[in-house]
Amino acid sequence: MAKNPYDVLGVSSSASAAEIQKAYRKLAKKLHPDLNPGDKAAEEKFKEAAGAYDLLGDADKRKRFDNGEIDATGAERPQHHFYRDYADAGDPHAYTSGAGFADFMDSEGAFADLLRRGQRARANRRGEDLHYRLPIEFVESISGATKRITLPDGGTLEVKIPPGLVDGQVLRLKGKGAPGAGKGGPGDALIEVEVMPDRRFTRDGDNILLELPISLTEAVLGGQIRVPTPTGDVTMAVPKGSNTGTTLRLRGKGAPRRGGSAGDELVKLMIVLPKSTDPELEAFVENWAKGKEFDPREGTL
Amino acid sequence: MTLNKQEFLISSGQRVQTLEFWLEQRWLIPTEAASGAQFSDVDVARAQLIRDLKSDLGVNDEGIDVILHLIDQLHGVRQAFASMRAALDDDSRNV
Repeated sequence: MAKNPYDVLGVSSSASAAEIQKAYRKLAKKLHPDLNPGDKAAEEKFKEAAGAYDLLGDADKRKRFDNGEIDATGAERPQHHFYRDYADAGDPHAYTSGAGFADFMDSEGAFADLLRRGQRARANRRGEDLHYRLPIEFVESISGATKRITLPDGGTLEVKIPPGLVDGQVLRLKGKGAPGAGKGGPGDALIEVEVMPDRRFTRDGDNILLELPISLTEAVLGGQIRVPTPTGDVTMAVPKGSNTGTTLRLRGKGAPRRGGSAGDELVKLMIVLPKSTDPELEAFVENWAKGKEFDPREGTL
Repeated sequence: MTLNKQEFLISSGQRVQTLEFWLEQRWLIPTEAASGAQFSDVDVARAQLIRDLKSDLGVNDEGIDVILHLIDQLHGVRQAFASMRAALDDDSRNV
């Protein structure tokens, strides 16, 4: 006979939905097996609480339970795989962190010695994961690339960079780590990819930003200009009367997203005058009355 | 057993955007194979843990980041303990 779910959660049968959720969360925080990896009893207790919450946390099921239409049995959750069962299985995986004890490991003494010998003694030990850093060009991060890493032992490792990768992303290559002992199998290679800054492009989420110089003529009269994108140059129309700071959007020329679509390239225009002053331009501006009336700093001073 | 991304989404019942966010945060690090990301049992169980933290326990994204980091360290320590136990067992056999 399953326990009364109200008793399991420690609430009265008139408790509100909010009270029930609060009671369950309080229990679950204490009992969740992944928050208690060494407590074998936690799993049973957690399942009991979760089962009770499945019943009482659902207004419809709760009503049917209160009316006696269903009982507390069958309220158990379907098979639940807890992370601790895999994390602790003895096979190192990409998530294990030594940050909690690395200082003990590095030191000399009986403790560190025991730890090191123990790691050797574990039969069928999976090989260690090896960590690498791989710098790539910005353009490669957008369009994808195949890179080679030279390993300390002289071998090489081929790394496929998926298009749209972001700085700091970690790629995991199965079985490319250190060899294991016995039937342990090799570890994985974990490659942290560093995207080097580009002198032209910067990235903002899925969009790529580019500052592009244009001439005064192009700004005033408009025209077609060539614009670099990470996947090659394209032609873009600059509208008549464009200004420094005007931003034009090249749809789909940004970073690819997972799933096929892509961000945009945002082209910010910057008017650049010729290096040497042209007498004709000077004379024109001198005689251009309206130019003297226009105050671009109006309201800022 | 490993699942590809499509299979993982179906079995975990997560939305594409949710998974993308988890991958971005590096809460999940699937194996990169020629055919795309491969999710193993440990990835699937970890996804379940993230789901539990988020929906059952009401933890926000910042909190999940911290919790996963601490849990990863805890398992690292547990494995170190297991190693030392193996060394001690080894010693007692050789005495």
